[in-house]
Amino acid sequence: MLSIANSLVLVFPLALGILIGYFLRDRRRLNIDSLILGVIIVLIFCLGFSMGSNGELLAVLPSVGLTTIVLLAMTLLFSIIFVKAARRIAKA
Amino acid sequence: MITWYIIAALFLGVLAGYASNMMGAAWLNPIFSDTIFNLSLFALLFLMGIIFGMDRQAVSKLKETGFKILIFPFTIVLGSITGGFIGALILGTDIFAAMGVCAGCGWYTLTGPLAGQLFGLKWGAIGFTVNFLRELITIVAASPASKIDRYAPVAMGGATAMDTTLPVIVRATSQDMLITAFTSGFIITLLAPFMITAIATLAG
Repeated sequence: MLSIANSLVLVFPLALGILIGYFLRDRRRLNIDSLILGVIIVLIFCLGFSMGSNGELLAVLPSVGLTTIVLLAMTLLFSIIFVKAARRIAKA
Repeated sequence: MITWYIIAALFLGVLAGYASNMMGAAWLNPIFSDTIFNLSLFALLFLMGIIFGMDRQAVSKLKETGFKILIFPFTIVLGSITGGFIGALILGTDIFAAMGVCAGCGWYTLTGPLAGQLFGLKWGAIGFTVNFLRELITIVAASPASKIDRYAPVAMGGATAMDTTLPVIVRATSQDMLITAFTSGFIITLLAPFMITAIATLAG
């Protein structure tokens, strides 16, 4: 799936889209919401596909269960707590 | 409603991927996991960019936040690593390996192999599962999490906030979150491999 170089390339379609959107501003509202939803569905389906077809990943799930659950819960919890605290400090 | 469509797509994708592997259709894998995946990701970012560019309010809201958005990626990485530290204390396990695995911030295709190399096979597996489930939980729970804090979905998404979880985060919050989430995910993507390796070096 994504490598670093691959990820960096993602800036281009986003920047191009923003630029085009900026110039389309004063036009009649363009409705692409349903198109976006369609693309999201395709993307998430592909993500699921790559997860489901990853036999290696599915095979190790049960054997590392407890460690995974605890680390996952803590890493999510503290990333949220830190962001909440940073927002208060920086008033962002 | 839309969240359910997304969860259904994810579930059907997992089933289809599993079935294709069981039936030995491995050639289908790169088509879905790489070709269509990358094409739809490019299309999605382009389309979401257009919506953002057209939205005057989103741009002005972002200007209000300004450079402060740079706080988020660094805070999220630090919070994730702290979570790994606390988790290791609870479990009584290898603290450095746990911090390294959590520094992956949801990027499982990187963290799995890298942690396996640096901390051993078992931690490679944990690096895979912790970050894989982080992405999954962000997709499913972005909407309820946004009620705890507006930026909570961005924090949960970690590195994935620039691609797979981006649309879900924007839908759970608002249009002006597009650039915040993307920038955060982008910087975390740059930081993650460096942090994992640095933690392994500290472990000696």
